[in-house]
Amino acid sequence: MLLRGLTWLVLFQLLGTAINHLFLSMLPGPIIGLVLLLAYLMLRGEVSAPLSEAASSLLRYLPLLLVPPAVGVMVYAADIAADFWAIVGSLVLSVLIALAFCGVLMQKMIARQARREEKP
Amino acid sequence: MSLDWHGALDAVIHHPLFGIGITLGAYQLVLAAYDKTRWIFLQPVLVSMLVVIGVLVTCGVSYAEYRKSTEIMNILLGPATVALAVPLYLNLRRIRQLLWPTLTTLVIGGLVATCACLLLGWWFGAEHMILMTMAPKSVTSPIAMLVAEQIGGVAALAAVFVLITGVIGAIFGPALLSACGVSSPEARGMALGISAHAVGTAVALEESEETGAFAALGMSLMGVVTAVFLPLAVSLVA
Repeated sequence: MLLRGLTWLVLFQLLGTAINHLFLSMLPGPIIGLVLLLAYLMLRGEVSAPLSEAASSLLRYLPLLLVPPAVGVMVYAADIAADFWAIVGSLVLSVLIALAFCGVLMQKMIARQARREEKP
Repeated sequence: MSLDWHGALDAVIHHPLFGIGITLGAYQLVLAAYDKTRWIFLQPVLVSMLVVIGVLVTCGVSYAEYRKSTEIMNILLGPATVALAVPLYLNLRRIRQLLWPTLTTLVIGGLVATCACLLLGWWFGAEHMILMTMAPKSVTSPIAMLVAEQIGGVAALAAVFVLITGVIGAIFGPALLSACGVSSPEARGMALGISAHAVGTAVALEESEETGAFAALGMSLMGVVTAVFLPLAVSLVA
């Protein structure tokens, strides 16, 4: 079961890699694979058991898989030090702005939709 | 007879399994500590990364050697990224009634999140490489790393920026949203998911099931939209 689902995921990623190479060089292969799989799921209208098992097993260990690439920061210590305050400042401010903005906007939109549904 | 301690230590440190061993060990250690304390700064990836860097520096192993021995984990990252389509699909089925509010917030909010960061970074004088790495900071790490690399940033740094963003959003998000008068669970969830991805979603789940569901939705939609449109936008501008 797990292996069959895993095979599907690998197939979609390889398909994405081929498309990346042929037509869409600005999109990474795994992203194209993700979009293709999403389109496939929407067409089928359900997630098959093997696919759901493979996806949830892999995603459970996703944080672990992210550790080795993150360790790469040790090579960029100098770049971080050079722009330290610019990085911290823009990350902190932009996440706070985005949070407040999205929250207020979504709440306004929901209220507007509710008003519209009451009217007719 | 004298045992060759030094040689044995050397053989262990430079064995191809050493990198995977310390990664697995550090990760489980941090995960156990996080489960016990629930302390938000103990983000498993962030702290494991620090532990592994500490061990590598102490043992004198270069990043290139570590990277080579953990190659197999990097290969699995591709299918794991593709697998993100499954939770996104399951979340999409939930939003029928709130389709328009969700999509509008996603597009405008996503633009604001990305542009605010780029403008602030540029204004504070960060260099181009750092800017391109910060652009995808609101999305989940595997996607952010791929996108950053694609548009001229650095994957490793992107992973760290994403985590910092998530932790800050999770710490200040709920209080900030209340201060702005945002009370509907759907709106709180979307805001946390779009701007603080997985860490924000975890906090949203603690508020309520509904908030968590919308955070998961916001996170996965934001991930895919950024993954597709950010590289396109950058390739048009550049």
